[in-house]
Amino acid sequence: MPAHPAPSGPGWANLGMDIVSVKRVRRLLDEYGEGFFERMLTPGEIADCRNSTGLDVLSLCGRIAAKEAAFKTLRVRDRFLPWLDIVVRRSDGGWPLVHLRGGARRMAAASGITEVTVSISHDVDYAVAVAAPIITEPKGETP
Amino acid sequence: MTDGLDQVKAWIVKRHPDRDDIAPDLDLIENRLIDSLSFVEFVFLLEQVSGRSIDMDTLEVDSIRTLEAIDRTFFKARVS
Repeated sequence: MPAHPAPSGPGWANLGMDIVSVKRVRRLLDEYGEGFFERMLTPGEIADCRNSTGLDVLSLCGRIAAKEAAFKTLRVRDRFLPWLDIVVRRSDGGWPLVHLRGGARRMAAASGITEVTVSISHDVDYAVAVAAPIITEPKGETP
Repeated sequence: MTDGLDQVKAWIVKRHPDRDDIAPDLDLIENRLIDSLSFVEFVFLLEQVSGRSIDMDTLEVDSIRTLEAIDRTFFKARVS
């Protein structure tokens, strides 16, 4: 169930924002290896984070922050982030694209959200992301 | 308190050195002792300690909200 206040139509949007520490993610990578992130990122997302030397930690942080930011726009409570149902891929143009599926899509639909747009930024020690929902006007209520 | 729960408690305290103890009924989520990122690692730990596979998609928030709930869900349930 969506927590109040929920998006109620055009003009109302719950933004989501998140910050992820490189130090934390690097520790996870060092301690558990790449396999750990398969619980959080799809194979395609992991591929997006890979460079010639392996997984790029800043990219991982950005992807994780984007998922959390997107999840926050859904304003649901008592639910864990459905990591693999919020997919953040790199577009041909280089900007991130969010694809909601499964449980995340159902949570979004309960709030009238059809899509989520996100922006990611990072610098040495942190990655941040901000997300905004795209709300579809209910059918039959347009003037 | 079970040995498994002791390990869980020690894991949390190690990551939050500002705390030297955690009350059994303390809300771990409201008090930010477990967040989205650490949740994944926490589930990994619970799987190792309890010997059970955990489906993150179906896991109820209330089942890991407190040490009491964790004990009830992942440790005591095995021997009852």
